[in-house]
Amino acid sequence: MPIRVNPKLIEELDFYGAEDVQFCYHCGDCSANCTHTDEIYRFPRKSMRSLQMGLERKLETALEPWLCYYCGQCSSQCPREADPGETMMALRRWLIGRYDFTGIARRFYISRASEVLAIVITGLLTGIGFVLYGYFLGNLRIYDGEGAFLPSSLIHTFDLTLGSLIGVILLINAFRMWRLTLYNERSVHIPWWLYLKWIWLLPFHFFTQKRYAECESQRATPVFMPWIIHLFLMLGYVIMLVLVMAFIEQLQAGPAINWKVHIFGYASAVGLTIGTIYFIGSRLRKRSEIQYKKSHSTDWVFVILLTIIVITGIVQHIFHRTGMPVAANITYILHLMAVVPWLLRMPFSKWAHLVYRPLGMYFAGIRKDAILRQEKKEGILVPNPV
Amino acid sequence: MRIGIFFCLAGTDKNLNIDAVAKYSANLPGVELVKVLGIRPRLNSMELCKELKDNHIQRVIIAGDMPGYFKPVFTKAMALAGYNPHEVRLASFREHGATDQDSNDRAKAIVACATRAVPFSLAAIPKETPVHPATLIIGGGVAGIQAALEIADAGKQVYLVERTGTIGGHMAMFDKTFPTLDCAACILTPKMVSVGQHDMIRMMICSELESISGAPGAYHVRIRQHARYVDSDACVACGICTEVCPVKVPSEFDAGLSDRKAIYIPFPQAVPNSYLIDGENCTYIQTNGQKCGVCLKKCPKECIDFNQKDVVEEVEVGNIILATGYDVLEAGKLDQYGYGVYPNVFTALEFERMTNASGTTGGKIVMKTLRQNKRTKEDEWVLLPDGDAPKSVAIIHCVGSRNKKYNSYCSRVCCMYSLKFAHLVREKIPNVTCYEFYIDMRAFGKGYEEFAERIKSEGTFVVRGRTATVGMENGKMIVNGEDIVNDTPVKFPVDMVVLAIGLVPARGTEVITKMLGLTRDSDGWFSELDYNGNPTDTEKGGIYVAGMCQGPKDIPDTVAQASAVAAGVLRSITSGKGIGHRSSLSLSEIETRSQLIHTE
Repeated sequence: MPIRVNPKLIEELDFYGAEDVQFCYHCGDCSANCTHTDEIYRFPRKSMRSLQMGLERKLETALEPWLCYYCGQCSSQCPREADPGETMMALRRWLIGRYDFTGIARRFYISRASEVLAIVITGLLTGIGFVLYGYFLGNLRIYDGEGAFLPSSLIHTFDLTLGSLIGVILLINAFRMWRLTLYNERSVHIPWWLYLKWIWLLPFHFFTQKRYAECESQRATPVFMPWIIHLFLMLGYVIMLVLVMAFIEQLQAGPAINWKVHIFGYASAVGLTIGTIYFIGSRLRKRSEIQYKKSHSTDWVFVILLTIIVITGIVQHIFHRTGMPVAANITYILHLMAVVPWLLRMPFSKWAHLVYRPLGMYFAGIRKDAILRQEKKEGILVPNPV
Repeated sequence: MRIGIFFCLAGTDKNLNIDAVAKYSANLPGVELVKVLGIRPRLNSMELCKELKDNHIQRVIIAGDMPGYFKPVFTKAMALAGYNPHEVRLASFREHGATDQDSNDRAKAIVACATRAVPFSLAAIPKETPVHPATLIIGGGVAGIQAALEIADAGKQVYLVERTGTIGGHMAMFDKTFPTLDCAACILTPKMVSVGQHDMIRMMICSELESISGAPGAYHVRIRQHARYVDSDACVACGICTEVCPVKVPSEFDAGLSDRKAIYIPFPQAVPNSYLIDGENCTYIQTNGQKCGVCLKKCPKECIDFNQKDVVEEVEVGNIILATGYDVLEAGKLDQYGYGVYPNVFTALEFERMTNASGTTGGKIVMKTLRQNKRTKEDEWVLLPDGDAPKSVAIIHCVGSRNKKYNSYCSRVCCMYSLKFAHLVREKIPNVTCYEFYIDMRAFGKGYEEFAERIKSEGTFVVRGRTATVGMENGKMIVNGEDIVNDTPVKFPVDMVVLAIGLVPARGTEVITKMLGLTRDSDGWFSELDYNGNPTDTEKGGIYVAGMCQGPKDIPDTVAQASAVAAGVLRSITSGKGIGHRSSLSLSEIETRSQLIHTE
């Protein structure tokens, strides 16, 4: 099969944050230091190599970026300061763009202005829409029940529509990911039952993020905090998503607190608050660790929107319960103005990791099994028998 | 001729007052247009072409630190405008030494020369100065020795200043030379002996430069000769003093592998072959004669004199040769290789001393043994001649070299000596496994590539990919790396690790730089005048560089450079005319000279 080389690829990846790839001279320090690299998936050096050579097709089908959790060990030891960790991060950004069939993710990553513009426009449209609805059909002084400014049934329908839209986009993208990484990769034959054998990897990695913890465990002084926070944030987000999708009517009902539902809401709010504060702090302080040394512009948008959502969400809840329906309604509108663009942005941003990471892990498990089944790799060098 | 001058700066020329230079150049004859285009301007040949046409510019001068970078645009513009595209001249400030605040005049002179299309180096030939026939050589390694012998054999006086107790330098510590595997001592020792016996060479051992004054061709140098406390003429090197001396310190010559006494001879073949006392560690000297003094009582020749004082001597010389050599990088800085943590991790210099037949193990390659120190009752790892031979040895290349965190440059000799080590390991230990972990094999010299091929064919495992870490698992050292060619992670258990550690300029290089008013490159090595055309001269007249102090190089290159330096020195002595300071020329002198060359 002919190999196509894209000599511009390295310049393209510049936009995604991989700025120093060309410095790499392939000493192999990074791969040897990496906890997650194994005999089948050798990174980050090989990914750097593919990038230097412009092997676009190979990188497109690669699962390696999803196996990396950016502990930063490779970057801190790199003798050329080629920043392999950041390269893997950039590859993830690039892959999100590749999987995305709409092309929006690519546009967002390359141009900060377009992203901000899109967020502002969706935010404003949402705001205007809901205000118009409330003005003509509702009463600003009523928060829940009959004649509410924003009735929960409306929000529920809206949520479901939005959710289905995002779900469809993500599903198509996940399908594209599968086609790129497993289906098109004809060199490896994958029996169908392997998909069943490794299916447990999906929920396992989704809920535990075990590999993130592994990243830390190999350090001299492991810092498990980012992993815990990451988990908190992710779980908080998922719980909130489920609540909003299925239980919005109960959530919004009555000034009295419905503990059966609200307890979950509080738990997830705590998770989200802690996570947000931690990430803002880390990025501001550029925590000596490598991970936060460079913040891509898209990372900041994520953090800022999340902050607005968390604050307005909590405030509107308090306003409602303390009997201030007008204030509650206004903050609710603000909340929605941040939530909608944020949700819509999800398939095109770092939050798509939520889907691609476990999928990547799942596919990687399948492919590895298939490769090992195909050939027994024989090293030319054998360790000396002692 | 109508001339246009464009200042295209590189950002490195901040020290210069560009406005003043531009003002000056505007008044030069024929200059019609002067433009300061700023730092790294983005130029468009079409726009330039229009500008050139409007002003009828027939010659373009690009001035700045990297004018060559902008030349293609201007050449194109000249061609588009229909003028002679060859009339684009460069005025490079940095190349001609206009780098600091004081070099504004020089920058002006460079531009002036360019307007007349006269190469600056042709116009700025320094004045000739009368030369004193004596030569000072700083550093008694192989470069210093070679240069001293060449000059002295021509019948000229040489002062050879050496900081340690013997001449010979690092080469005296080596066992074999690559790629021929000749015995290093067999090459060096005869040279050392001839230096010691030469009538025209005055060795100044245990000496350091104190100050320098004068001008090229006539330098007055003050040299401090530290007290050695032993009369080297009377000493017969019987060794009784060393036997009785109670003080033990790590031996510099043995790279710290063995101990020496406070009264010692650096190595048996030292020149001058005499003992000396290390004043900093001697009990008698440190206590002002209150304690010890055993050697004084035991010496049969009564040649120990504790009343000796440092002597400051003044010599007058015409030329100075710098041959200060190098040191090795501190291996403890690179913690991933476990140097200083695991007992059997050695630096290259230590390993060199171990394989050397005159070394502490008598040339045997052995692992360290755990032994109880009798005095402190603590277990310690020591190198004993009857230790166990390693079953597997890993040699790691590029330790601290080609690494942006330590030395960004290539130390140049490591690949070859590492291959030599692999050969020695396999020669001396039967059935040993030897690994070489390298990034790029730099076998650049005559016969080197063949040597590398030979070592590979001998059965050494040469792994492309550097070791990332050296760790310990179940009491066994593990080298952890990636084999890039075979695309596998490698994890080999080994008994011994040798680090091909990078080289750095010798301690004290900075002091000498300041004292002599020289410049050093970004890596800390002495700067030569011109890398290709003048690799032995420095910016200052009458001061030369030889050997490693100018940059890492192997023994053949060092010796060749030393001989080349000797040729330069002898030329200046026999002609009686030396080269003055380049910076001594005034702006008007250069202007006049360039005018003269131009009209010729």
